[in-house]
Amino acid sequence: MKRSSIHGGVFLLVLIVSVMFAGCYRMRASKGGGQINHTAERKINPKDILLTPGYSVEAIAEGLTFPTDITFDQDGTAYVIESGYAYGEVWTEPKLIRLDKTKTVIANGEKNGPWNGVTYYNGNFYVSEGGELEGGKILRISPEGKKIVLVDNLPSTGDHHTNQLIIQHDYIYFGQGTATNSGIVGRDNADFGWLKRNKDFHDIPCQDIKLTGQNYTSPNVLTEDENDEISTGAFVPFGKSTSAGEIIKGSLPCNGSIMRIPVEGGDVELVSWGLRNPFGLALAPDGRIYTTENAYDERGSRPVWGTGDVLWEVKQGQWYGWPDLSAGQLITNDEEFTSPSSKSVKPLLQVYPQNPPEPVAIFGVHASACGLAFSTRSSFGFEGDAFVAQFGDMAPDAGKVLSPVGFKIVKVNVSDGVIRDFAVNKGKRNGPASWLKKGGLERPVSVKFSPDGKSLYVVDFGILLMTKSGAKPIKNTGVIWKITKDGL
Amino acid sequence: MKQCIQLLIFLLLSCITISCASRKSEPVKGKTFTAKNEAVKQGEQVFMKYCQKCHPAGEAGLGPALNANPAPAFIKRFQMRHGLGVMPGFTQDEISKEDLHHITDYLRALKQY
Repeated sequence: MKRSSIHGGVFLLVLIVSVMFAGCYRMRASKGGGQINHTAERKINPKDILLTPGYSVEAIAEGLTFPTDITFDQDGTAYVIESGYAYGEVWTEPKLIRLDKTKTVIANGEKNGPWNGVTYYNGNFYVSEGGELEGGKILRISPEGKKIVLVDNLPSTGDHHTNQLIIQHDYIYFGQGTATNSGIVGRDNADFGWLKRNKDFHDIPCQDIKLTGQNYTSPNVLTEDENDEISTGAFVPFGKSTSAGEIIKGSLPCNGSIMRIPVEGGDVELVSWGLRNPFGLALAPDGRIYTTENAYDERGSRPVWGTGDVLWEVKQGQWYGWPDLSAGQLITNDEEFTSPSSKSVKPLLQVYPQNPPEPVAIFGVHASACGLAFSTRSSFGFEGDAFVAQFGDMAPDAGKVLSPVGFKIVKVNVSDGVIRDFAVNKGKRNGPASWLKKGGLERPVSVKFSPDGKSLYVVDFGILLMTKSGAKPIKNTGVIWKITKDGL
Repeated sequence: MKQCIQLLIFLLLSCITISCASRKSEPVKGKTFTAKNEAVKQGEQVFMKYCQKCHPAGEAGLGPALNANPAPAFIKRFQMRHGLGVMPGFTQDEISKEDLHHITDYLRALKQY
C-alpha cells in the first residue's frame, strides 16, 4: 500500500475516534445530576469530598430542610435560614435558625418563600424573602425574632425570586430575578406552577425599552382545549402580542436587576439591570460588588442553548444584556446559542440600552452558580479569590447535559477569570452525592467565610431530584459543611 | 499493512483506556496545577472564555469530556475552528490561530501535570 494511503487511513481513523469521543449530542440522553433511578439517600461522609491540597472538611449540621444561606453574629455564632419553598412547589415554613445544639429557631416566616439570603449587621438579621406567593420582601429580624418589613411587593412571583443580599455603606443591595427564562411568558411558566395562579405576571424592565415586536405562539395553557394556541410577546402578560417599535415603560422595582434600599428602609433604587437571575452577591476585599448570574435555560417559547452562568462585577447603572445577550455576547441568530431542537433565537429589543462589560468569569452551562464569598485572609489562603457554590444542573427541565454539571465549590481568580475546582465529590465522574451513591456534597447553594476569615462554610441545600413530573426536593437532607486550612 | 492497522487500532484503544480518566482538577489529583509557561497560561485563560462553559475543567458537561479525548492536537484545533455536530466553530476573530495552539498546550499540560 502506498504511503499516502497509509497516511489517509491513519487520519481517517483518528478522525473517527475523535468523532466517537465528541459523540452525537442529539442521540444521547440527558444525564443530569438530579436524574437518578435509584432511591436517593442522604449519606454524610466528609471523606467523600476532595479538596484542594491543604484543606479539610467536616459536617457541622445536618437534617436541615432546604437551607439557603448562613451568617454570623458579633460573637461568631452561625445562623442559617431554611427557605420555606423549593422548586417543585414544595412549601415548608421559612426559618432563621441558630446553629447551636438544639438548632434554636429565632424566627419563622410566612408562606412566601423562598428565604434566599441572610446577613447580620449592627445587631439585626436582614433576610431576603423570595416571595413566590405575595412578592419579594426584605425583612429586618431582631435577635429576639421580631420582624419588620423594609420593602415588599418586589416582582418575585415568577420563575425567579428576590435573591441574596449584602450591606455596604448603610444600603442593602439585593438581586431580583426575572419572571421568565428569556422574556416570554409561556407553557414552561405553567409548569413551574405560577402562571395559572398569577395570569398577568410578566417581566418588568427597569428602564423604557423598545421592542422588535417578536411574538411566540404557544399552547394556551389557561384553557381546557388542548388545541388552543395563543401568541405572546416580550415583557407582557401571557397571551398579549406586541408590535415593532412598541415601548414598554420601565419602572421600579423591576426584574432582572440589582437594587438597593437604605438599611432603615425607604425607596428602591436601581443599581444595575439586564441580569437574568443574579442570585449571589458578595463584597470583594477592595469594596467592589460581584454577582453570579444564572444564565438562560433551554426551555419555554424562546429556548436558549449553551449559555454559561456568569460572574459579573456590579457597576452602577450598567445594563448586562438580558434578554438578548449572554456574558456580553449576542445570543440572537447565532448557532452557538440555538437549541438543537428549536429555531435560532430572535431579538426582542430593537435598541440595546448599553454595551455590557466583559464578564469576570463564565461557569459551566446549567452549573447554577449561586452564593459566593471572597477570601480575605492569608490564614485561609487564596486572598482575593471568589469562592462560588454551584447548586448543579436541573436537567433535563433546564436543558440537556451529557454529564452532571456543578455540585461543587470552585474558586475564581477575578483578575484573569480562571476557574479552578476547590471542593468536589470523589468518583470517576462529577456529580451530586446521591447520584454517586456517596456521602459528599449534594447541592451547594451558598458559601460564607467565618468572621475571622479562617473557615469557609458551605450551605448544602440537600437532595433535589429531577423526575418526569418535575423537580422533587427532599426535606431534611440539607447539610452545613465547614472547610478549614490544615494546620490552623 | 493489515498488521499495521491492527497495531494502530490497538495503540489507539490503549491510549483511550489510559487517558479515559476525565477528571484532572486539583482536588482530584491532589496537587496544584501551575502553568509552566506563558503559552499554557494564555491557553488556560482563553479556554476559560470559550471552552469552560461546555467542558468545565475539561470534564463532560453540556459537551463531552476533553480530558479523555485522545485525538491529536491538530484535530482538536481543526474542531475548534470548524465545529463538529452541535459544537460551533470559532472564527479567527474569536480565537486566533496562536490561541488555538495555546489551548491545546493547556489541555496537554492539564492532562500531564
